Amino acid sequence: MDSALIPKGVKRCPLWQFLLFIGAVGIVLLWGVYAMLLCWFKGLNQTNMNDYYGFALWIWADLAVIAVGGGAFFTGLLRYIFGKDELKNIINYAVLIGFICYSSALLILAIDIGQPLRGWFIFWHANVHSMLTEVAFCLSCYFGVLTIEYLPLVLENRQIDKVPFFHHLGHNMHEIMAVFAATGAFLSFFHQGSLGGVAGVLFGRPFAYREGVFIWPWTFFLFTWSAAACGPCFTILVTKITEKVTRKKLVKDNAIELLAKISGWMILTYIIAKTVDTWYWATVTAPSKGFTLMEFYSNNALYGIWILVAEILICGYIPAFILITKKGRKNPLGVWIAIILAVIGVCLNRWVMVLQVMAVPVMTFDHWALYYPSWQEVATTILPVAYGVILIAISYRYLPVFPNEAEMNPIEPLPEEAAAIEPSMAPEQELTPAEA
Amino acid sequence: MKNNLNHRFGMVIDLDKCTGCGSCMVACMAENNVPFRKDESDKLLSITWMRVFRLNNGKPFPETDICYLPRPCMQCAGLHEGHSPCVSVCPATATDYGMETGIVSQIYTRCFGCRYCMASCPYHSRYFNWWDPIWPDGMEKYLSPNVSPRMRGVVEKCSFCYHRYQLAKDKAFMDGGRELKENEYQTACTQACPANAITFGDLNNPDHAVHRMVKPDLEHGGRPQNPHAFRLLERLGTNPKVYYLSSRKWIRHAGDNYLKNEAKMKKPVHHG
Amino acid sequence: MKIGRREFLSFVIGGAAGTALSPLPWKLMDDSSIWTQMWPWTPVPENGEASYVNSVCTLCPGRCGITVRKIDDRAVKIEGMKKYPVNDGGLCLLGLSGLQLLYGPTRIKGPLKRSGKRGQGDWERISWKEAISEIVEKLGELREKGRPQSVGAISGSDRGTVPRLLERLLTAYGSPNFFRMASVRDSYELTLDIMQGVQALPGFDFENADFILSFGSDILEGWGSPVQMMRVNSAWKSAGVKVIQIEPRLSNTAAKSDKWIPINPGTEAALAMGLAHVIIKELLYDNGFISADTSRFDDWKQLVIDEYSPDSVAAVTGIDAGTIVVLARRFANASKPMAICGRGDGTHPVSLTECMAVHALNALTGNINKKGGIFAVSDPDYIHWPEIEMDSTAAVGMQHDRLDGAGSRKYPHSRYLLNRLPESILSKALYPLEALFIADANPLYTLTDTQDTGKAFEKIPLVVSFSSFMDETARHADLILPNHVYLERYEDVPMPFGMLQQAVGLARPVVEPQLDTRHVGDVIIETAKGLGGSVATSFPWKTYYLCLKETLGEKWQAMVVNGFWSGSKSIDQALKTSFDTASGKFEFVDPNTGLKPQFKPVQIKGDERQFPLLLMPYDSIRLAHGYIGDPPFMVKTVEDIVLKHNDVFVEVNPKTARAAGLNDGQRALLGTPLGTAKVRVRLFEGIMPGIVALPRGLGHTAYDDYLAGKGINVNTLIGPVEDPDSGMNAAWGIRAKLSKI
Repeated sequence: MDSALIPKGVKRCPLWQFLLFIGAVGIVLLWGVYAMLLCWFKGLNQTNMNDYYGFALWIWADLAVIAVGGGAFFTGLLRYIFGKDELKNIINYAVLIGFICYSSALLILAIDIGQPLRGWFIFWHANVHSMLTEVAFCLSCYFGVLTIEYLPLVLENRQIDKVPFFHHLGHNMHEIMAVFAATGAFLSFFHQGSLGGVAGVLFGRPFAYREGVFIWPWTFFLFTWSAAACGPCFTILVTKITEKVTRKKLVKDNAIELLAKISGWMILTYIIAKTVDTWYWATVTAPSKGFTLMEFYSNNALYGIWILVAEILICGYIPAFILITKKGRKNPLGVWIAIILAVIGVCLNRWVMVLQVMAVPVMTFDHWALYYPSWQEVATTILPVAYGVILIAISYRYLPVFPNEAEMNPIEPLPEEAAAIEPSMAPEQELTPAEA
Repeated sequence: MKNNLNHRFGMVIDLDKCTGCGSCMVACMAENNVPFRKDESDKLLSITWMRVFRLNNGKPFPETDICYLPRPCMQCAGLHEGHSPCVSVCPATATDYGMETGIVSQIYTRCFGCRYCMASCPYHSRYFNWWDPIWPDGMEKYLSPNVSPRMRGVVEKCSFCYHRYQLAKDKAFMDGGRELKENEYQTACTQACPANAITFGDLNNPDHAVHRMVKPDLEHGGRPQNPHAFRLLERLGTNPKVYYLSSRKWIRHAGDNYLKNEAKMKKPVHHG
Repeated sequence: MKIGRREFLSFVIGGAAGTALSPLPWKLMDDSSIWTQMWPWTPVPENGEASYVNSVCTLCPGRCGITVRKIDDRAVKIEGMKKYPVNDGGLCLLGLSGLQLLYGPTRIKGPLKRSGKRGQGDWERISWKEAISEIVEKLGELREKGRPQSVGAISGSDRGTVPRLLERLLTAYGSPNFFRMASVRDSYELTLDIMQGVQALPGFDFENADFILSFGSDILEGWGSPVQMMRVNSAWKSAGVKVIQIEPRLSNTAAKSDKWIPINPGTEAALAMGLAHVIIKELLYDNGFISADTSRFDDWKQLVIDEYSPDSVAAVTGIDAGTIVVLARRFANASKPMAICGRGDGTHPVSLTECMAVHALNALTGNINKKGGIFAVSDPDYIHWPEIEMDSTAAVGMQHDRLDGAGSRKYPHSRYLLNRLPESILSKALYPLEALFIADANPLYTLTDTQDTGKAFEKIPLVVSFSSFMDETARHADLILPNHVYLERYEDVPMPFGMLQQAVGLARPVVEPQLDTRHVGDVIIETAKGLGGSVATSFPWKTYYLCLKETLGEKWQAMVVNGFWSGSKSIDQALKTSFDTASGKFEFVDPNTGLKPQFKPVQIKGDERQFPLLLMPYDSIRLAHGYIGDPPFMVKTVEDIVLKHNDVFVEVNPKTARAAGLNDGQRALLGTPLGTAKVRVRLFEGIMPGIVALPRGLGHTAYDDYLAGKGINVNTLIGPVEDPDSGMNAAWGIRAKLSKI
């Protein structure tokens, strides 16, 4: 029924199956929307946040999706600026994932603030000294860039592309994509960094506070670096999951491998820097405020020292070593383990830099504060996931997200179906790559 | 640090005198139209601009000792004037540092509730309006017009009763623009304290009691020179304007974090 | 025109772009944010002209002067009155919360008559005329039947014109049954009566004392007048005056004292006797005073020497003998030492012998009626009303014994023994109580053994409450004739317990009455007039206001201007004050009964095997537990280690908890011979092992949702124990057990 919309040369599941899938995920989405409306109309009392946990699950989710969404800017950077051509096959998907992550981040922020209708005050009454101001500006701008990067893909939909205006628009946008990629990378550097700065500048919170250069604490650079390092892993992870779900090979191994390799080296350098930072913080910064390392990691099982071991050793060094070795990259299981660990690692880092910062008492007579999210918080956090799945499903079905898909998955028409195939949809014809 | 403020309003709380009665908390609530709810036992959701903490020396019976510590907003100056932990992070300039008074303000109508300032404050002096403030029918009659009730979704905190400063200034202006006298601007908690444990005044003014009591070293971040005086979390560089006095060593020690080899004394614990 | 897909798309996209570029979205964005800044459901207090009114706070017995800030006709803030003799500018949290009571939801809006079952909460609004005629009719009927004695009244106080009018009404009517809520004042009045032969209140010259020995008196938790005591304590800190606090639990007072000496509960008198032993043995007492101004010292001395050696006292109190000796020396060697008693905030009496034992220490150091010591202060004598005209009915009625046994042969010195009233009603030993008036009191909440009190009240056919608030007692009344709240009415307010100064404050209306309430003084006068005859003629005033003005006479003007009238400080005439006993000297032994200061253990209820622990109520200034319950602001100050949601915590020593297998925060069942209650456990090192401490002031069943249903009322678990020498309730606790749920 919707075959006219489906890209040429690829096979998609029947519409009813697709709708069933969208419907199922849609229910989750609606649950999230309901929770979101509750938060907007009844206020943030719907959450389990409190005056000690002013930042909680949402801010973590926000930081995490931005971190893993970092695959978009970094892949773009590699593809357009450093000219890594192999990545053209994954760049569309990277952009789509980035778009989902950043739109989710903005949505979460809109739910998280106590006065959503005044959210624009951050621009209007901007305090340039605040890391959050920097985040807001760069985040919004970069979201604009991602939209511009995503738009040509939408315009490549078979029906839209028929309109000459859109066809030309899409073509021309591809021409200048390098400019946007550069802009995106620049913006990302700052907002990823300033998100790191959000925690690092808190000189009232010795657990978060880091020294640094000029106005930027070390977390500023660590966050950018870790997003660049682990973001591509998330892109690979989602690609691999998509391949599993669609039971198709969608991206050529060389693209994945290259990205994995670069990612591996990035993770390694990042985690060395993180280790040095942690060491300096534990032996110099924190003690100067009267804290020993273990005071931050005691009192309860949730925030035990295991969290530091997990973040740095298990989710840092292990994936790095897997991905920088050829053997590791060639081993499918190894890659799976590495990308999953890397994604967990960066999410854990964001968790610690948000939630544990809130949990650790600073005044000697204060106490550890633990928190668990309310269902409304969980639902609104799952909302972007459901939204992402739906957007990926729709994009995958109707847009030529994977330029090599048709080439790698030739359709073998069954006798009775062969007649139905339009002459123009000859299997040997390569799909128009997004950037063509 | 340069001390370039006209005034530097600050508070000295004598913990030897403080009885932990909580009158300062209520005086503050009554003065500043602080809302209340049916269950206020979750202290992480309870708006108390002034909160009295209970400290415990952690020793077993009968060596146990407790001490109360009232905690208003510290009105931090930071390492350089105006670099308070919260003021520096507010993305919308909804909280600001008064260069004339040293008081950290909060503009409720500008705050959009991101709560970054709360995350930045190690004293937990900042509170979020998780709920709409609701007064039982008729009770809104006692609301003071000098302090606007806050709407849901914004952050609020102690203002050192800034409106009292404005009223006093207005009065002084009408009296021919004279200088404010020490007793003309006093916070509600200071005024109410049954034990006279709170003293309020201008730390810059050597004639004011607060200055005489703690002898702040204004060249060095306002460090107290009175050996019995201390500030909370002095080492973080927040440079608070609230000083505490105590003759008991364990209490002074509880004011900040120390490494084990820095001091022999056991750290106090919360809630015994 | 045919609209194709292209046209439609162009239209939509063009329209969207056009709207985005127009001022509309920006205007909407701006408007919506402005809307959030003035949400109609967030109140905006009206501005107006500011003014201040001086008055007196009567929410607790502390009686502080207040200055109320007003904006137009609204009261917006209560502050302490500067220069008022009690509090000089300071104010406690209850006083500061007063406006929440004035404008609060628990106020009774007008006279109510019960329409359902008692306590059910079904009321019918009636007019004041109906309400008063209802009372007059009932009282007239009882009087006609010749049973005027079967009418009683409970009042929070017996000082000032309002309680005196109530008492006067009863007397003129013919009933001796006027009751005052008990407190440590009763113990002190009796002690001063016996040992010094005076009907007076104690006045403590705290300003000039230099060593304070407190036998469990929580001077920072509300003992005496709370604000005054806190100011005194701060002055002590500045002056280096030593305070020694003796009690089983580390109260705030103990924590702020110079030394906290934990003691086995209920053995304070033994310690006092032990100290006396050391002082006498080591000849540290004021020999001049003892030989010249006291009588029967040797009688008592023998008892002290024989029975209260440091070692034997150590065994009883749990305080080691060395500490006792050192403490005795420090006390006796101080130049102005003062020993005081009354556990907690003093809302409950102590046994007569205990109070006498503590007071005897003051006599040993000769620190009585002189600077830095304890004075006997008489009430300012300003109420001079014409003699009550008693008709024969009244005279016969007044011949009856009081229902509580006060002033009887058994308890000749006691004036009020409200604690004995429930039992007297239930046992039907004397005569029934057929009507009861209650003013400024909430006995159904505050009397120990709430169940028995409730049962006794059930037996009273007519209960009339004058309460302004729907408290427990009002809820169980048949008629409520709501009084104005203190901020709406005139009243003379004598200085509180413990003050030296003879002064009277003036409470006056800060705002117009907010509801259809009436001054209880006016209701009394109207009732008397309605009854007619000699009762009516005993009340020659038209209104309470005129009565007050006439009573105060020339003082009135001074009170209006200054907020209070001040007589002399007793200290000025102190040296002239002599003892008014038969001997003219301070009596160590009651010449009539032979009663001596000594340690007589109070036989608290419960079997030790069944109830291995001791339950002690404790007082916190953040929990009002008298006639007034905590307003919302005060509840907000209650720590989460005292109350969490609706659960109250009991404090126990970790050792005790371990023995019971209980952890911090765990739920447990607290049982006493009177009942059981669900509590949570808080481990506290500042309490003696074997003791369970529960705060007073929670567990209200009436009042609003901000207070009702939170925690448990300790009075439901504790019953009165009659002091054999005075009849007062001397219970300091009860045996208890704590078990897992």
